[in-house]
Amino acid sequence: MSATDTRRDTGPADTAAPDTVDELPRRRRSHPVVRVLRSSLAGRIAFPIVCLLVWLLAIRIVTSIWPFAVDVLPTPTQVFSFMWDELTGETLAPRNVYETFGISLRRLGIGMAIAMAIGTVIGLGMGLSKRVNAFFNDWVVAILAMPNLAWALFCSLAFGFGDVGPIVTVVLTGIPFVIINVREGVRNAPTDLYDMARAFGVSRADTIRHVLLPSLMPFMFAAARYAFALGWKGLVVAEVFGGEDGAGWTIKFWYDAHRAYGVIGYALLFVVFALLFEKFLFDRLSGYFFRWRPEVNAADVVEQRFDAPGVATATATADSGNGTHATTTGPKPERGAGGDETRRSHDG
Amino acid sequence: MAEITVRNLHKEFGVGADKIVALDDVNLDISGHVFVSIVGASGCGKSTLLNILSGIETPSHGQVQITEDGRPAAKGYVFQAARLLPWRTVMDNLLFVQKDRSEQTRARCQRYLDMVQLGDKGRKYPGELSGGMQQRVGIARAFSTEPDVLFMDEPFSHLDAITARSLRAELQNMWQETRKTVIFVTHDVGEAVELSNRILVFAKGGHLADDIDMPLPFPRDVADPEVAVAKANVFRTFEQIGALAVS
Ligand SMILES: Nc1ncnc2c1ncn2[C@@H]1O[C@H](COP(=O)(O)OP(=O)(O)OP(=O)(O)O)[C@@H](O)[C@H]1O
Ligand SMILES: [Mg+2]
Repeated sequence: MSATDTRRDTGPADTAAPDTVDELPRRRRSHPVVRVLRSSLAGRIAFPIVCLLVWLLAIRIVTSIWPFAVDVLPTPTQVFSFMWDELTGETLAPRNVYETFGISLRRLGIGMAIAMAIGTVIGLGMGLSKRVNAFFNDWVVAILAMPNLAWALFCSLAFGFGDVGPIVTVVLTGIPFVIINVREGVRNAPTDLYDMARAFGVSRADTIRHVLLPSLMPFMFAAARYAFALGWKGLVVAEVFGGEDGAGWTIKFWYDAHRAYGVIGYALLFVVFALLFEKFLFDRLSGYFFRWRPEVNAADVVEQRFDAPGVATATATADSGNGTHATTTGPKPERGAGGDETRRSHDG
Repeated sequence: MAEITVRNLHKEFGVGADKIVALDDVNLDISGHVFVSIVGASGCGKSTLLNILSGIETPSHGQVQITEDGRPAAKGYVFQAARLLPWRTVMDNLLFVQKDRSEQTRARCQRYLDMVQLGDKGRKYPGELSGGMQQRVGIARAFSTEPDVLFMDEPFSHLDAITARSLRAELQNMWQETRKTVIFVTHDVGEAVELSNRILVFAKGGHLADDIDMPLPFPRDVADPEVAVAKANVFRTFEQIGALAVS
């Protein structure tokens, strides 16, 4: 133990009553099992386990009430072996899972690109001009309130079978999020930084490129995440009605074939796919674009500040023999105004 | 040579009952190689004056003209808060305000970072620096453009005494070498007396209440009796005006 540690330990002892001296460290240092259970990894692992248990329980309850339901409620084994077959390319459907998701992903990508492009222009206009804002505002709210089932049905009627219906559905589902986020981004613009650029005579083009766009990035990013998550769902619904292929159409295929395990298995594949995308694309991109943020994981910091100082000291003392760690786990100093502003509004 | 001309400058914010007069009929002529300090109580319009001179804000009435040998002057500004781009490194923050990105420009930026003792921090992001370090980056940025007119809004007020002292010396050297015009806002009368050859005293409501010449030679030592007397005089004026403004 280093000198600083000793001082830290004897510090409270000098002032506290003798019998509390023993208790202090014990209360601070939680049991390893407790620490594992409290970690976010445990939370993540626990979730699917709980789901599985609920699923098995549901099968048991439903079949005991209504024995014919055996065919309707598939068992986890059925579903997972179906998923495994799909992943290894063995399928009764016309296309394997990779082709199917490729088709859907292309539609999603095109739809999102269009939504981002048009949404950014409208959002900029709404943020910069009260009149433009008044013009579009109710429409944005209306589009936002519209269930994407309605878009899907309408688009399949309007555009028939093929790519256009699903793509338009993605655009319509995603665009309100882009518009609203970009508008908020413009309204939260760092005016002090524009003034700075103006005072130094920086050109308009450079100001847009190095001040406006980076300040919008967190908002665009949040918009892209929403547009992805919701557009993905809208796309599937649209493909059910207006597709000849794609993930939605294939789910419908299994539905028509009365294969409940196929419907659920395909939906799960779909979820896995979306999660992988989120994890590997968005998290990477976010790590790259926001590398200037000193605290990447805001949730950790919040948790720490709520638990502080108890937990901070506990981690410091548990961390064998380096007293200086206490400063890194404790609350961090405030940062520059510009940085704070944009950080606060990140996921907004 | 830089020429600053201010005629009947008036600035107000808000309308109706919320109206605030930040500057009231200010007239000024500043020309050539001078170091002008602006002192005055909080809220008397000092930052507003700098913002108008630097072109960030427009006057409500009146004219402002800043020229360097007849053409528009290049301006630099050290703000009351650092105002760095959080998404760019320290070096990129300096490069952002430069006319070009040549090797010489980079070397110059590096030199000014060295001057504020942040030579090794060029690759850091502003969020990784302390408040005082960020403020020093702001100072290096303004110096690094080598402007004709340099505006500084309480640049040293967030720094520790030692750093502030050495930067004051640097500022004075730079001012004497480059023969630029510096307009320097401060709360600290001692700082104003030490650095400037002209002190403008502003009163509440944005009046230019007094315009004091400071002919003493540089560098000035605070312990020098002449400097101490000058400082006492400025303080007296300052207090008289403060009393006038309150009544
Ligand atoms: N953008 C603005 N909108 C409304 N009022 C403003 C604005 N900027 C300044 N003011 C007002 O104008 C007055 C002068 O402000 P200014 O910032 O120039 O004061 P200052 O002399 O720099 O004060 P300090 O020494 O505290 O920095 C203040 O009353 C302030 O409230
Ligand atoms: Mg001010």
